[in-house]
Amino acid sequence: MAEMWIHMGPQHPMTHGLWNLRIKVNGETITDAVPELGYLHRSVEKIGERRKYFMNTTLTDRLCYASAMTWTHCYCLAAEELMGVEAPLRAKYIRTVVLELQRIASHLMWLGAYLPDLGLITGFLYGMRDREMFLNLLEIPSGGRLLYNYVKIGGVKRDLPPGFEAKAERVMQTLERRLKEYENLYDNSKIFRMRNDGVGVYSASDAINWGITGPNLRSAGVPFDLRQADSYDAYPELDFEPVTNTAAGGGSDCFSRYRQRVDEMHQSMDLVRQALAKMPEGKVMADSVPLRASGEAFRRTEDSRGEALMYLVGDGSDRPYRWKIRSPMFTTVSAAPHFLKGYKVADVPAIMGSIDMCIGETDK
Amino acid sequence: MTSLYDWSYWFCEAWLVPLITPLLYFQEHIMPPFSNPAGDMARWMESDPGLNILAWTIAVNVALMIGFTNVIIVVYLERKIAGRIMDRRGPMLSLNSLKEIASDLAGYAPEYTWKTTTYAGIGILQNVADGIKFFCKEIIVPDKADRLLYTIGPVIFISSSILLLVMVPFSPRIAASSAPLGLLVVMAAFSIAPIGVLTTGWACNNKYTLIGGMRSAAQLMAYEIPLLLSMAGVFLVAGSYNPMDIVAQQQGMWNVVPQFLGFIVFIVCMLAEVERVPFDLPEAEAELVEGWTTEIGGLRLGLVFAAEYIRGFVGAMIATILFLGGWSGPFLPGEIWFLLKVYGILIFFIILRWTVPRIRTDQILLLGWKRLLPLSLINLALAILYVEVF
Repeated sequence: MAEMWIHMGPQHPMTHGLWNLRIKVNGETITDAVPELGYLHRSVEKIGERRKYFMNTTLTDRLCYASAMTWTHCYCLAAEELMGVEAPLRAKYIRTVVLELQRIASHLMWLGAYLPDLGLITGFLYGMRDREMFLNLLEIPSGGRLLYNYVKIGGVKRDLPPGFEAKAERVMQTLERRLKEYENLYDNSKIFRMRNDGVGVYSASDAINWGITGPNLRSAGVPFDLRQADSYDAYPELDFEPVTNTAAGGGSDCFSRYRQRVDEMHQSMDLVRQALAKMPEGKVMADSVPLRASGEAFRRTEDSRGEALMYLVGDGSDRPYRWKIRSPMFTTVSAAPHFLKGYKVADVPAIMGSIDMCIGETDK
Repeated sequence: MTSLYDWSYWFCEAWLVPLITPLLYFQEHIMPPFSNPAGDMARWMESDPGLNILAWTIAVNVALMIGFTNVIIVVYLERKIAGRIMDRRGPMLSLNSLKEIASDLAGYAPEYTWKTTTYAGIGILQNVADGIKFFCKEIIVPDKADRLLYTIGPVIFISSSILLLVMVPFSPRIAASSAPLGLLVVMAAFSIAPIGVLTTGWACNNKYTLIGGMRSAAQLMAYEIPLLLSMAGVFLVAGSYNPMDIVAQQQGMWNVVPQFLGFIVFIVCMLAEVERVPFDLPEAEAELVEGWTTEIGGLRLGLVFAAEYIRGFVGAMIATILFLGGWSGPFLPGEIWFLLKVYGILIFFIILRWTVPRIRTDQILLLGWKRLLPLSLINLALAILYVEVF
C-alpha cells in the first residue's frame, strides 16, 4: 500500500481534547507524524494581563480540566513571590493535601481515559467511578467539583472542615483496595502487557533533551521531582522520595508510564496522610495581600503532568504586565513524532494516551 | 413431524393451501381471461414443487425468527452483563417509563419526578428504542464514494450472516436445512463476510474504513486456517460433516474432553471470526473511529450490528455442536440444553469483551500463524491417533 497521511483529529476518539495529529502510514506502520495544536487556544496569558492579580485564578482553573487545583496553585505561588506575601503554615499544609488529592484525581482520569484507548471501555468507568470519590473530597473544602478556585494568593479560601481526615482516610482506603484489583486486572493481563511492553520507547537522555517532564520523565528512570528539587509549601517537611520506573529494556515505554502513575497515586496517598497528620493549627490566609506589585517572579511546580511554570512581571499596577505559562504537555506533544515513528497505527492511541494529554493547558 | 421442514410442509398441505386456493379459484372466475393467473397460482400451489417451495419459505422464516429473537436476547444480555461488570446497572427502560417519555415528548411535565422511580424495569425495551432510532436515521452516502460497492458491501455482510442462521440446526426438530456438507458450507458462508467488509472499506472513500477493511482481510488470513484445522479433528472423529451425525457421535463423551486443544483453538479463532474483542480490529474505535462502519448509517448500520450478533450467536452454536455435545443432555428437551450451552459460550464471549483490551494487527497475525496453527495441527494429529487407536 502506498504511503498516506491520516488525520487523527481534531474530532477523533484518540485525541482527548481538541488537537490534530497527522500521521503518515505505510500500511499500518507509522513513518512520520505531525502534531497540530492551537484549536483550543484561548489566549489565557493575554486576557490575564487585563485582569487584576486575584482575578486570574478563574483563568488558571480553566487551564486544565483534569487538574485545576495545581495550575491555580502554581499561579498563586508566583504571585505570592511577586508580592512578597507568604501563606500561613496551615494554608501550606492544606494546599499540599488538596494538591495531592487533585493529583490522584487527575491520574485516575488518565487511567480511565487510557484503557479505552487500548480497547477496554470498562476501564473508563472504573477510573471515573474512583475519581468521583476524590472530587467529592475536594468538594468539601472548596465547594467545586471541576473548577475549585480554592487556592488564593496568600493562602486558601476556606479551612478544612472537621471530619475531613476521616473522610479522606476512608476514600483512600477504598482506592487502595481498588488499585489492587486493577493491578490484578491489568498487570497480569497478557493482552494488556502485549499492547504496552516496548511500545513508545524513549530513553532517559532523549526525554531530558526533548524537555519531557513529570511522570513521563520519571518513568524513564530519572528521579527528578520538583516537589523535592525545588520544594514549595509543606513538601520540605514531608518524608518522601521520587518514585521512578523503567521499561524492561531501559528508558520509558507505555507500561512503565502506566506503572509510574499508579505508583504516584500510592505515593500521593502517603503524602496526604503525612500532611493531614502533621497539620498545624492557625490561620489559612495571610493578613494582608497587596493588590499592586512590581518586579518579576517565577515559580515552577510539579503539576500532575510535569513541570508547570508561571512567570509574572508586574509594573506597579494591579494587573500583571506580562504573564507566561510553561505547559509541560506542550513540549511532550512536540516530542511525540520521535517516539511514534516505527510503531503501528493501533499504537497511536496507546502512546498518546500514555503520556496523559491535556489540551487545555497545552494550548492555553 | 421430525423437522421444521416437515412441520411446515404439513402446515401448507393441511391448512394454508386448502384455505387459500378456493379464494384464488373464486378470483379466477371474476374477470376471465385477465384473472386467469390467480387460477394458475392456485394450481402451482397445489402441485408438488409449489408446496415444496412454500414449505421451505415458511421453514426458513421460522428459523430466522428464532434466530433474530435470540439475537435480541444476546444484545440485551450483553448490555446487562457489561453494566454489571462496569459497576452500573445497564439499561433500565420499562413500560412504566414510556409514560414519562410521552410526557417529555409532549413538552408536558405535570410535576418533577426523579427519573429512577420510573426507569426501573428490566430494560428489554432499550432494544426497541434502538431499533426505532435506526429506522429514523437518514441514509447518507458519502461524497465521492463508489455508490455501487458502498451499497453492496453491507448487503454481502448482512445477507451472508443471515444465511448462517438457517444452515445451523437448533435440534433435530428445529432445523431449516440439512445439507450433506453441513458445517463445511456454514464455514464457507462464514468467510464471505470479510469480502463485504473489504468492499465497504474501499468504497467509502475514507482512510479509516480502508484500514478497517484491510485489517479484516489480514485477520482472515490469520485465523481461518487454524479454525478449519481445529474443526477437522471433530470431522475426522465423527466421520461426517453433518451436525446430526456429529452430535450423535458425542452421545458417550463430549468432544471437548478428548479434543480440548481443538476446543481452545476453535474458541479463539471463532472470536476472531465474529470480530469481537479482543479481535475486533476492523472496527477498533480507539484509532479508526468506527473502523469499516464509519461511513455507514441508519438502518444499514443497525442491520450490520444485528448481523455481527448473529455471527456471534452462530459461532457459539457451532462450538456447541462440535465440542459440547449439541442438544444432548438428560431430563430437559434437546432445545433447552442446546440454548443453555450456547448461552454459556456467549456469556463467556461477553465477559471477555468487557475485561480485556484489543490486540494489534501484527500480534493477531503472529498469534494465528505461530501459536494457533501448530496447536491445531497437534490437535489434528491427536485426533488421528484417537481414531486409529480406538
